This record gives sequence, structure tokens and C-alpha cells, in this order.
Amino acid sequence: MRIQIRMIGIATTFFWIFLIAFFVSAVYSIKDVHFDFGEPQMSLTADNEIVFSLPVTIANKGFYNIGSFNITTEISDEKGSTITQNSTSISVIRRGEEVNTTHTMTINTTDLFQSAQKYLFNDTELKINEKVSMKIAEMIPVQVSTNLSIAWGAPLYNFTLRETEYAAYNQTHLRAVVPISFENHAFFDVAGTIQIRMYNNADLFVGEGQTVIEVSQYSSYNGYVEFYVLMNKMTYSGRFEVYFLTPFFNYGPLVIPYG
Amino acid sequence: MANRKNDFKTNLRQITFKALKATIKGVLFYALYFVLWIMFLAPAAEIIPGLQQAVETFVMVYVFLIIVGELTSGTIFQYFFDAAKALFVVCYLVLSLNGGMLGVNFQNVSLIVDLRLFLVVAMLLSLLGFARSVLQAINYMNEKAEYTRI
Repeated sequence: MRIQIRMIGIATTFFWIFLIAFFVSAVYSIKDVHFDFGEPQMSLTADNEIVFSLPVTIANKGFYNIGSFNITTEISDEKGSTITQNSTSISVIRRGEEVNTTHTMTINTTDLFQSAQKYLFNDTELKINEKVSMKIAEMIPVQVSTNLSIAWGAPLYNFTLRETEYAAYNQTHLRAVVPISFENHAFFDVAGTIQIRMYNNADLFVGEGQTVIEVSQYSSYNGYVEFYVLMNKMTYSGRFEVYFLTPFFNYGPLVIPYG
Repeated sequence: MANRKNDFKTNLRQITFKALKATIKGVLFYALYFVLWIMFLAPAAEIIPGLQQAVETFVMVYVFLIIVGELTSGTIFQYFFDAAKALFVVCYLVLSLNGGMLGVNFQNVSLIVDLRLFLVVAMLLSLLGFARSVLQAINYMNEKAEYTRI
């Protein structure tokens, strides 16, 4: 029986040495894995989508392969509702290999603003949850995560239609001038068209007009929309329907009552 | 009278030999820990708070059990201490590794390491060591019973 017991002892010692050597070398080799996150870039597609790109370079100079490398970014509002989420995965990064990839995220601004107009008119805070996970030596799962907050500047902050001015144009029509003002707090320029439709209190269409706007980032806009309305359809109260058409987003109608 | 003197001398020599062997084993184990610490674990200790304390506690208890086990060699207690050593490793790993899920936070960055696979393998090896100690104890009692009968 002694021989068998000794064999168990030898086998146990051998496996212990193997396990400790593997574990220590796997942890130690992490210091030779270099992650380089490049400058984040932003671009606009033809489909009204903002694309955020983050170039990532991983140089694995450690002793082992890295498995299941994954970067996940989730952008949510202050209440925790997800706005957009995307993952970038690399199945295996072999030892001695350098991998370049780009982590991208897409936000459809038209959909975003249509579903939550607060992003158009109110400054808010967005939460970014960033997770990087991998398997060291394709065996030991590791996850690093962080939460960041970024300020969201509304492109049409404090959008206001001031008192409409009417002037007689001819016997049937009036010339209406609707002053518009807002501040562009967004990181992008707002250029496009603002269209206004006027309805009376019987929901009858009274008139419409539009103006071209070009407001650079972090600046304010003061302008007006001029149009002609039928005198006999005019009432003291009613509503304006405002439509915004820009390369970044299309939004409307924004209903603003008058009278 | 001469026999008694010889017995005393033999016992003294045995105890001295055991103590020497225990000291050498303890010193060797500590030296191994020291080398591993300086070469690999010291950089990790800068990131993981409490790692040094946890590892030192483990080494202290383990060296103590090695020395006591060696001093009691040749008796049934040696196997008790060997079994205790194996069970200590299991309990210590489960407790110190928090069930295999280690989490560390630095400011708003959190790091989670899943060591469950490592923990399972280490526990299995410790249990194998425990089984070996039990077998050794049985073998020891068996051999003792045989000698007594003769």
C-alpha cells in the first residue's frame, strides 16, 4: 500500500506545481499585454446615424493566448433606460500577436429624438457603461468595467416661438411673422429647415411657412418664419405645428398653442 | 542502566533530527514563498489590497502545520496534521477567494476575476491530499497492528 500512497503523493505534488506555475505565469503574463485605446472619432452617415468609433490595439506579448476578448459599451439616460448598446468581440488573440480593431456604436438621431424629445430641447446627462472582458490563457475570465457620465447638450435648447406679428397683405390674406429663438448646446452644427404650420381652433389649416437655419455649435439663434394666412380662417387661438428637417435629424410635429 | 542511557541518546538524536528536518522544511517552504512573492506576486499586491496579508497568514499557518507534522512524524498525529493541512488549504482557498469570484474596485473602475475553475482544481487536489493522509493513517495503524501481533 505504501507504493500506491507514495504515487498519490507524487501525482498530487506534480499537479500542485503545475497548477501554481500555470496560475502564476498566467497572472504574470498580463503585464505584457498592452491595450491602447485611440482617439474616439465621430461621423455621420446618410441615414441620420451618428457613428462613434474607438480604435483599439491589443498587443499580446504574454505567455498565453487571450480568449473571448470583448468590449461592450452601453449608453443610457439618467433613469437607466438604454439608448444604445454595442459589443466588439475577438475570439482569440494569440501570443505574440497584435490585433487592431474598431469598437463602433451607432445612434439613430431621428429615432432617438422622435422617441424622447427631451434630448432635442433639454440638456441632460448620459451614462456610459464600459465593460472589457477576456479570458487570460483562455481559462481565467477577467472583467473590467467603469461608469462615466457625459453631458448632453440639446441642439434646440429653450426653443421658443414668440408673439406672432400680423400685418395686412391684401383683402384676403394677412402676413404673419413668427419669431423663433433657441440655443444650440449640441456638439454639432444645426443646419436645415424649420417649417411651421398654423391651425385655428377648429383644426383648419390656416397657413404655413419655413426658414433655413444654420446655427453653429454652442451658439444661439434668433430668426423668424414669415407666411401668409387666410384672414377668414383666423381665430384668436389655435396651434402651430413645427417641423425640423436637418441632415442630423428630422423631428415633428412639435405642437405649440397660440392665443 | 547502559540500555537506558542508549535509549535516551537515541531519542534525543531522533528528536534533534526531526527538529532539524522540520526547520529545513519550514525554511525551504518560506524561501519558496519569498521567491514567488518577489518575482510574481509583489506587483499584484500593489493592485489588490490585502493580498500580502492574506498570503502571509496562509504561509504562517501552513509552515506551522509543516513543522508540527514533521515533529510528530512516526506517530499517528503526523497524518492528522497532514489531513488538517489539506483541509486548511481547502477552507482557506474558499474563504480567501470569496468562492472563486474576486472583485476589486479602484475609484469607479471595478475588476472582477473569475477563479472558480482554479478553485475547483485546487480543492480537488487538496481533497486528494486529504485522502492520501487518511490512507497513510490507515496504513500506519495496519502496520502497527501487524507488528504488535508478531
